[in-house]
This record gives sequence, C-alpha cells and structure tokens, in this order.
Amino acid sequence: MATNCIRCLARPSLPPSFLVNASSSLRIQSLPSTASMGKRYASKLNRPTTNGPRKNEKVKGQKTLRIKKKPPPKTGKPPQPGERKAMRKRIVLSNTNALEVPGMRELDKGLVGEWEMGIRDARRQAEEGHWVLEGALGMVAKEGAKEGEAKNGEGVIGQVVALQGQTVDSLRAVEAFKTTQGWGFFRRPGLLIREESVMLSRKLIQAEQGNLRLVIDGERGTGKSLLLLHAMATAFVRGWIVINIPEAQEVTNAMNDYAPLPNTNPTLFTQPTYTATLLSRINKANPILADMEISLTHSLPIPIQSNISLSRLCELGARDPDVAWPIFQAFWAELMAEGMPPVLLSLDGLSNIMRESMYLAPDTSKVHAHDLALIDHFVNYLSGKRRLENGGAVLAAASRSHAPTSKSMELVLKQLVELQKGEEEITEKDPFEKSYDDRVEWALGVGSEKATKAGPVEVLKLKGLSKKEARGLMEYWAKSGVLRKKVDEKEVAEKWALAGNGVVAEIERGALRMRI
Amino acid sequence: MVFILGNNFLENRLLRHCLETFYGIGTKHSTRILAKFSIYPGARVGQLPTKTINEITAELSTMTIETDLRRKMRDNIQRLRDMGSYRGRRHAMGLPVRGQRTRSQILTARKLNKIERHG
Repeated sequence: MATNCIRCLARPSLPPSFLVNASSSLRIQSLPSTASMGKRYASKLNRPTTNGPRKNEKVKGQKTLRIKKKPPPKTGKPPQPGERKAMRKRIVLSNTNALEVPGMRELDKGLVGEWEMGIRDARRQAEEGHWVLEGALGMVAKEGAKEGEAKNGEGVIGQVVALQGQTVDSLRAVEAFKTTQGWGFFRRPGLLIREESVMLSRKLIQAEQGNLRLVIDGERGTGKSLLLLHAMATAFVRGWIVINIPEAQEVTNAMNDYAPLPNTNPTLFTQPTYTATLLSRINKANPILADMEISLTHSLPIPIQSNISLSRLCELGARDPDVAWPIFQAFWAELMAEGMPPVLLSLDGLSNIMRESMYLAPDTSKVHAHDLALIDHFVNYLSGKRRLENGGAVLAAASRSHAPTSKSMELVLKQLVELQKGEEEITEKDPFEKSYDDRVEWALGVGSEKATKAGPVEVLKLKGLSKKEARGLMEYWAKSGVLRKKVDEKEVAEKWALAGNGVVAEIERGALRMRI
Repeated sequence: MVFILGNNFLENRLLRHCLETFYGIGTKHSTRILAKFSIYPGARVGQLPTKTINEITAELSTMTIETDLRRKMRDNIQRLRDMGSYRGRRHAMGLPVRGQRTRSQILTARKLNKIERHG
C-alpha cells in the first residue's frame, strides 16, 4: 500500500477502517509521499463523531482556573528627583555591627611627626654618608625598620591606623571617600599604612619647603585612590589647605555648564556651576580658612569687603556660579600670598583630563581638556609651569577602571618609571601611532621643546601589598569581626597569591566580599 | 514656560529636544546651535538666562526652518511638476519617485508625495 504510493505518487487507497482507528494524525503523517493528503484525511477523520462537547470547548458552568495578572503593587511614593542619585552616592563610614578594634593608632600629628623625625634621621645619616637620601625614602624606611630603635614612625607599616574625626569630616567634604571602597564594613574609617604611604607622607612633609609633583599609577585595585586619600589625610593633619577634584571625568564629560573665558588665547572655558561646588567643598573641608583674612586687593565682579575671611570669600563664590571663577582666582591668589599654609592640589582619574573633553567649542570642534580653565589651572602646576609659592604638592592618581586610554600618558608614565629604575632601554614612541598628544607630554613635564624647566613629574608606581602588610590588613579585618578565619601564615600566603601577588582590592574581594 | 521662536516649552525640557521640535532642525543643527552658544547638552530650557534664549531665537530666525523650509520644498516639487518631469509626475501621482517598485510597500510615498506636500 505505502510502497505503492511512493512509486506512483497516487492517492493512497487506505481502507476506511484503518483511518478511523488512527487516532493521531501523526500516524497518518508517517505514511510516506502522501503526507499532505493523509493530513487532509486525518483532519476530516479526527473530527469527533459524537454529539458531545468538543475538545477545548468550554462547557457552561464548568469551573476553569483563571489566573489574572495582577498589576504591580504600588509601594509608597516614587523616588523624588535626585533621591536615587543620593542613594547611589551615599558614603557609609561606620558600621555599628563591626567590632571595635582595640589599640588602634590614629593618624594624628604625633604619627606624622614621627615620620618627619624619620626624615631628619635619614638626612643626618645621609650626611654621614650611609646612604643617599634623594629619591630613596623608601630605602630609608626599610633600613629604619631594621634598626627599630629610632622613633621614625615605621613601626606602623603594615598596621591599620584610624582617621581622626576632624580629618574624616574634611575628607568627606572633599569627597575623598568613594562608594566602591569598603568603608561600611568597619566601626570607624581606618587606613592601612604601607611602605609607599610612609614614603609619600615624607615627600609631602619635605614639600612644605619645596614643590612636589607626583602621579600615582598602578594596576587596577592597587590602592591608588586610597593613597591619594592618605596624602589628603596627612595634609589635613599637617594643616595644609586641600583642593581636591574627586572625579576628573565629572569635569570633562560635559555634564556641567560652561562658558568661554573672554580675553584668553587659546580660548579657555570656565565651568561656573562646578567651580561653585568646588569652592563650597573647599570651604567645608578646610576649617582653617575661617581664620584667614583677605590680604590682597582684587577686582571682582561683585563688591566685597576688604576684611572678610577666606571662608567667606569661598562662600560668596559658592553662592553665585556666575562669579565663581573670578572668586576662585582671587582665592588662589590669596593662597599664593606670603605666609599662607602649603596647598595640596589633587585629582583622581588622570587619564580623563589627558584628552579632548566632551565639550564643544563654538565651531563645534571638541575642547581639549587642558582648555577648561580649572584643568588648565591644575595642569599648569602639574607640569611645573607655575610653582606653589608656599610649598605644597600636586598629586594626580591614574584610574584603571572605566578610564579612557591616553596613549601619550601611558607612554610617558612608562618611560618615567623605566628612568627611575635606571633601565638602559627606554620605551620609544610607536612610529605608527597617531593619537599621541603633545599637550599631555607637556603636562607631565616632558617633551622636546616645550619641556618645562621643572623637569618631569615623579611617578609612584603602586604594586601589590607586601605579605607583612597583607597580614596586618587581614588581622585588622579579623579583629573587626568581618573576616571569620584564623589569620596565619598559610591563610595570608593563599590570599596574597590568589590576589595576583597582593593586589589589595583582590585580597579584599577574596576575603570579605566573596561568600562561597 | 519659555518662549522660543513663537513656541512655548516647559521649563524642564532639554533645550536640544526643544530645538529638534522645529521642522528642519535635527541632531546636527541642534548640536551646532548648542555649541555656538556654549550650552552643554544636558541644559534645560528653564536654566538658561533670557539673554541666551533671545540669542537662540535670533539664530533660529536666520535659519530656513518651519514654514520657510516647507515652502522651499513645495517650490522644488512644483518646479519638477511645471517642467513636466517624470519626478514631478510621480510626486503628483503619489507614487515613489526614485525608481522603487510599486507592487507593494509604497505607503510612505502614498502618504507624503503630493504637490502640496506637508512635511
């Protein structure tokens, strides 16, 4: 029967009894060559012959399961404008569930004073010819640790020190704390003192008589932003004035208003609202400004009294974005006047300012980040074109997460690190690369003709923690009750190795954040 | 409410969106206008000083937009029609002008192609 169909392609001569019994159309379809015909038969034949209710047909009065889709429940009010952003940017610095760690040292004048003593010791010993001081303060730290007698503050390396209340307030005001950092795990904010932090603190203390221009670089999660925070904390303890740009991308990504600055060539662009916010932050973070009076005369667009405090000056600028930039300049002139404390200018996310910004010039070309007045100001000091008159430091931290690449910056930093190491072969420019930027090289103090007299910036390349530091950190976690494990040599070595030789964020991720 | 070139806009609207409501202004022109007056892309109409709004209105009034642009386009179609060209005829017939097939999918042409074309 079926074979017959294959050959002749004719209608199959199916006996009616077979078809009636065929309950599933599948069986009929399985007949070869005449599938469509079979279907036709089947559809006819599958029809129920009885007069009863058909399949899938509703019967009156029969109960069926009805699942109605409920509208989503209305839970309270929708978030107000800005509420979600506030939640997103909320910084929690304390956790009452965490244990208090007994016997924590504070980052206070005493500790910083000890680091200062360390410099004197080092200088004295350098004079005696033991070792060279310049550029090798890290060496001093190691030697000092061996001696262990001199009170040079190196005993705290590998320990977590607490931040003082006043410092915390100031750091919060300059937005030095970030949401991605694990401050919310602990009872009070603390900082791990690393070898590099002592070195940086010493450099800062020395910079009170000079100028420090430093870029902090390192792989992702090596603690660049936290080292910047450490520098700011040291500066606050030493009574400096701190001006911090917490996220460079906020300045360059065209999310704030801008305006061309008249009589500038090339045209600079001010950012009134951002400058006003910056002034407000400066005022909040530096309480010492309230005791300082204006000493110079300024020509400002608004009349000001001649004897107001610098704090008041900042307040006036913060209140009115239109006059914020002239007031910032006046404020800066005051800071550079004689007898003022040193200044720390810091910025996080360096690569964001080492390229074109997202702002457009009137001819719709992109504005280079260095043509933004605020960045121009920062870069002038970073490059060494201008000097901080009363001493101080310009610090910039590179960012390695969600940061744009700047070919020139990468290259220059690489070259400078190689120079510092004293390597014979210095990386050269890629001759086929087109995106190098002379202005970036100039900003970092290198380049052929435009190079400034001050020379290139210093680069502090951060690596992973040493095992001693990692152990100190993990012990602190254990004492805080966050890490419920015995911290011994084996545990530390394991975490240290798994974290790519002590990359601190990875240690934290492995020990605190990852719950398996 | 802010008044730009005879139109009222709510204060919380983005300026670039307001500009793009005008016939003849798209992303390119709105970007150019914003850049010309140094206004950042996230600026809302209510934030801008009256002076800037007036300047923008002045800038818009020098551009061929809205009715002027529509008239220009109609003139162009009328010119094609008057000289009896194939394109003019296709416009008048409400059929595709640029050699598309007409077996299916000529909705856009049916909608738009007229001698007195609207937009």
